[in-house]
Amino acid sequence: MKKKKNILSVLSPYAYITPISLILLTFVAGSLIIAVCFSFTKYNIITPAKFNGLFNYRKLLRDDKLRLCIMNTVKISVMAVPLQILTSTVLASLIAARKNTFLGKFAKAALFIPVLSSSAVVGTIWKAILNGGHPAVKFLFGLFGIDPTMLLGSSTSAIITLSMLIVWKSMGYYMIITLSSLMSIPENYYEAAKVDGANSWNLFSRITVPLLKPTLILNTFLAIISSMQVFDVVYTMTGGGPSMSTTTMVMYAYQLTFKGSKAGYAMTVSNVLMLMVLVVVLFQQRFMRREASEI
Amino acid sequence: MMKKRLISTLLCTSMIAALAVGCGGNNEDDGNSGGDAKSGSDKTTLTMWLPPLDKDTEGNFKPLLADFEKENNCEVKMELIPWDSYEEKWSTSISAGEGPDIGYMYAEMYPTYISSGAVVDLTDMVEDADYDEYLYLDRGEMMGGLYGIPIVTGVPFVLYYNQEILEDLEETAPETWEDFARICEKATKDTDGDGEIDQYGYAVGLNSGDMSNLYMLNSYIYSLIWQAGGDIYADDLKSARFNDKNGVEAIEFFKSLKDYMPENVMSLSGSDAFTTIFGAGKAAFGVTRSSQSQETLFKESYPDLKWDYVTSLKNVGYGTFGAADSLSVMSACENPDLALKLIKYICSSEFMSEYHKVAPGAPLTKTEQYAGDPKMERIVTEDRDKWRPLQAGPCGSEILENLASHIQSIMEGKMEVQEALDESAEFANETLDEYWADNEE
Repeated sequence: MKKKKNILSVLSPYAYITPISLILLTFVAGSLIIAVCFSFTKYNIITPAKFNGLFNYRKLLRDDKLRLCIMNTVKISVMAVPLQILTSTVLASLIAARKNTFLGKFAKAALFIPVLSSSAVVGTIWKAILNGGHPAVKFLFGLFGIDPTMLLGSSTSAIITLSMLIVWKSMGYYMIITLSSLMSIPENYYEAAKVDGANSWNLFSRITVPLLKPTLILNTFLAIISSMQVFDVVYTMTGGGPSMSTTTMVMYAYQLTFKGSKAGYAMTVSNVLMLMVLVVVLFQQRFMRREASEI
Repeated sequence: MMKKRLISTLLCTSMIAALAVGCGGNNEDDGNSGGDAKSGSDKTTLTMWLPPLDKDTEGNFKPLLADFEKENNCEVKMELIPWDSYEEKWSTSISAGEGPDIGYMYAEMYPTYISSGAVVDLTDMVEDADYDEYLYLDRGEMMGGLYGIPIVTGVPFVLYYNQEILEDLEETAPETWEDFARICEKATKDTDGDGEIDQYGYAVGLNSGDMSNLYMLNSYIYSLIWQAGGDIYADDLKSARFNDKNGVEAIEFFKSLKDYMPENVMSLSGSDAFTTIFGAGKAAFGVTRSSQSQETLFKESYPDLKWDYVTSLKNVGYGTFGAADSLSVMSACENPDLALKLIKYICSSEFMSEYHKVAPGAPLTKTEQYAGDPKMERIVTEDRDKWRPLQAGPCGSEILENLASHIQSIMEGKMEVQEALDESAEFANETLDEYWADNEE
């Protein structure tokens, strides 16, 4: 009986992790390997792939469109990520200070709604709001000297608009992570500091921020990775235009596959994106390790 | 504790089993797989993929197919695929060997499937009499073969005009580019005296967020290029020619109209521009795809609008884009003769006369009577030569998407017409060179 019990004890942990391992192996590691293999082929999805060596990688080097798409992706990251982190941290602090009030609970739920909404639906609705020409919307934007109906029409404003929409859509997610981290800071730290005469700013800068640092680093890297993979919002709001000014790398890979029948080359482009994400992940791990060792 | 662990282990095992079953192949015919299958009663099954052609395509088709099914001891399984994922569904399914026996395809889709041998060339399977009966059969000819029989055609993009605005301007329907530009200029004005323009000449939208970039070309660009005497590809389909002097003239003309378009022309989509600007009576002209039931539809959507249309303006010649979406027999079909027979039956007068009663469309055969709104009839009679389908050329979607993006650059003021068209043609030619290098090997 004891032996039977021991076998079960040894096997059960493996049984627990087997389903997710199978899913990860099949859909993550498997597709990664497939993408790398197909990037060395000429493949249009319909006919069997033909090996073409480094042709796709040589093509990458002279692909102006890819360079533009990388730039667009980087621009979105640069505009969206700092704002996502800043707004989510400020909102989390405000909500934490009012966590037991109706307003605090309502704000927490309301800010999380965009996260739960489909990106395609969000894109379609915002496009209708901006282009609808409703007097109330015009008035609100008019306060900042902006004509909402023009926002998606120029290369400069379209990418900024998309970035702001991405901030609006995902700040609730980072806000919840930050909030849970804020809640875990023991109250007695603040009480002790207050006894020592610390003001609100001191409390925030000397206690909250240092203790939130690992969460902020995590949020930053999550936001960077997510902004590099933007697709649905762009697809529904601008279709990558005007003049390809909002075509991101994921969208470019999609167009190559389904519009250009160049799935082999699209996978090469995807591999570039994968490398970029990998670099970000490596940085993230390094930062997190350093943080952990400092703590 | 022991019991709990045992239950957890069993649950995990059942999850793995479920995962394995879910990921496993299904060899049974589920009705979606390609090739025709014989059922227990020796009935042949033909699968057919279509986008939604009306509010209830399957409900409207099925009763009309009953006689054919009985006569030929077969079953027709229809699968309706939404427009927005149509091409994706095709490419992923064909690659997995799960394509249909018969498929509804449009011009931009054909080249890839033709060059990969996925579509049957019907040239030797149709007879001369078919060319006589099926009015648009020649429009199924492309890339050196006959690859489809048109099922949806006769609904070109036409230029609608607001009769009241033109009457106020003491103008009649435009015939030439000069007429059109003159009326657009006169129509663009501030009608309520608040200092802001609130009536436009031409309701255009160039945002491609809710539709493909190709919609922009369908609506506004092909017509001008053709009217100027140009085209997308050279006749041998080995190079682009939209940057020749005719193409440049067409796009210069389009650009010259920008002052008469809404200020947010780049933000609006083509359909938004038509519905919210032209449909609301705020523009003299708008373009959208015609329909044989346009009078009825416009009466519902724009009850106060007094409208008429011009099928095509004239410059060097006439021309506007009218799709010839066709039904094709796929190479994976085990019974191509029966599949072709079904396509011919669907496009025949017997079928279409009934179908067009619930979903009006242009007659596809000589013997079918026109059953649409009277106002739209001239599109398929006296104006029939003023519209045509797109040249089906290799790498179509890629080249045309790129062209559309360059036209956005022109309209945004970022590039000059010749510069943008040359750059776009350079991309097209490189893409075509690559294509022909592979396909002439």
